[in-house]
Amino acid sequence: MMKYSYIAPKRKSILTEEMQLLLTFFAITLFMLFTTFSFLLYKNYSFNKDKAMVIKEKQRLEESMGKLQADIAFIEVQKALSERVYTKNTVLKESITNLFDLIPTRITLSRAELLENGLILYGITPNKDIYNFMLQAPLRSIFHRTYSSFYAQENGWLRFVSTNYIDKEESIDEN
Amino acid sequence: MKINISRQHIYLMALSFFLFIFVLVFSFGVLIPQGKEYRIKRVELKKLSKELRAYKNLHSETAQTLQDLRSKNRSIITAFDATFNPERFEKQNKQYFSSLKVKEVDFSKVEDQFAIYEVNTTSEISSPTNFYKFLDAVNKSDWMIEVNFPIDFKRDGEMIKSSFKMKVYCNNNDTNATASSSEAK
Repeated sequence: MMKYSYIAPKRKSILTEEMQLLLTFFAITLFMLFTTFSFLLYKNYSFNKDKAMVIKEKQRLEESMGKLQADIAFIEVQKALSERVYTKNTVLKESITNLFDLIPTRITLSRAELLENGLILYGITPNKDIYNFMLQAPLRSIFHRTYSSFYAQENGWLRFVSTNYIDKEESIDEN
Repeated sequence: MKINISRQHIYLMALSFFLFIFVLVFSFGVLIPQGKEYRIKRVELKKLSKELRAYKNLHSETAQTLQDLRSKNRSIITAFDATFNPERFEKQNKQYFSSLKVKEVDFSKVEDQFAIYEVNTTSEISSPTNFYKFLDAVNKSDWMIEVNFPIDFKRDGEMIKSSFKMKVYCNNNDTNATASSSEAK
């Protein structure tokens, strides 16, 4: 074979220096792009997951909160009712105390019926005057309607029945 | 004038151009929308997390309030939960009476989430003071009891015979109602 040159020919490569430079540059660029893209993809996925978790947690808390508030409301109702009951018992005790304090020593009670809106007293009085001044007068100041009836006893004393009522409508109006 | 560009350079330019276009398209078409989405989601998550934190605080405060209420009103809550037991009631309160008898326990009605039982009692007391003491004791008893009208006091020699009604309140649930009625029997 005939030679036209004194130096040996170099094999030509497609990866010339310029091409290598270009590919390196783009490789770095693409690497950065894909890295950023992967980061964003991962983060968006992670955000979605966290958001779902937060929403679920909030729902759970809302359910629990509803239960807590219902429990609080129920205890408040119980508390209010208990206060009402305790007050009623205390008022009743005071009413009974006042009733027995109201009876003068000269009058003897044989029976007392305390009703929702009234009071019926049975007893013995030496005479009508003592009954009228010492028992009926204070009863009249407390009750709206007072009725009395007397039955004579053999020893001259009088057996009495005193029926006293508070009119509900009037008591509501007064309040 | 002839521009002499080698084939090598043409390939180089074409490759550069395609890669450049790819970078542009990828950046504007995919990367930037993804970035926007990332930013929106980050802000959204931050907001949701803040809301959740605030809600958790509120939840803790409410739980604490409930806890405080429960501990302050323990006796009331227990009283409403308790099923009325006539024998135990008689045993607990017989010290105030010469005799005490629970005659009958009847279911009355349901009012505001509470079942109400009516209890009729008869008793004998030596003086009204004992009845006052009983009324004080009722407010500290194991059940939610309201002493109710009619109350009847009748002299019987040295003693006073008394009969009165009581309303027992308890939480309205079927088990409680069943238990109470069975005990009443």
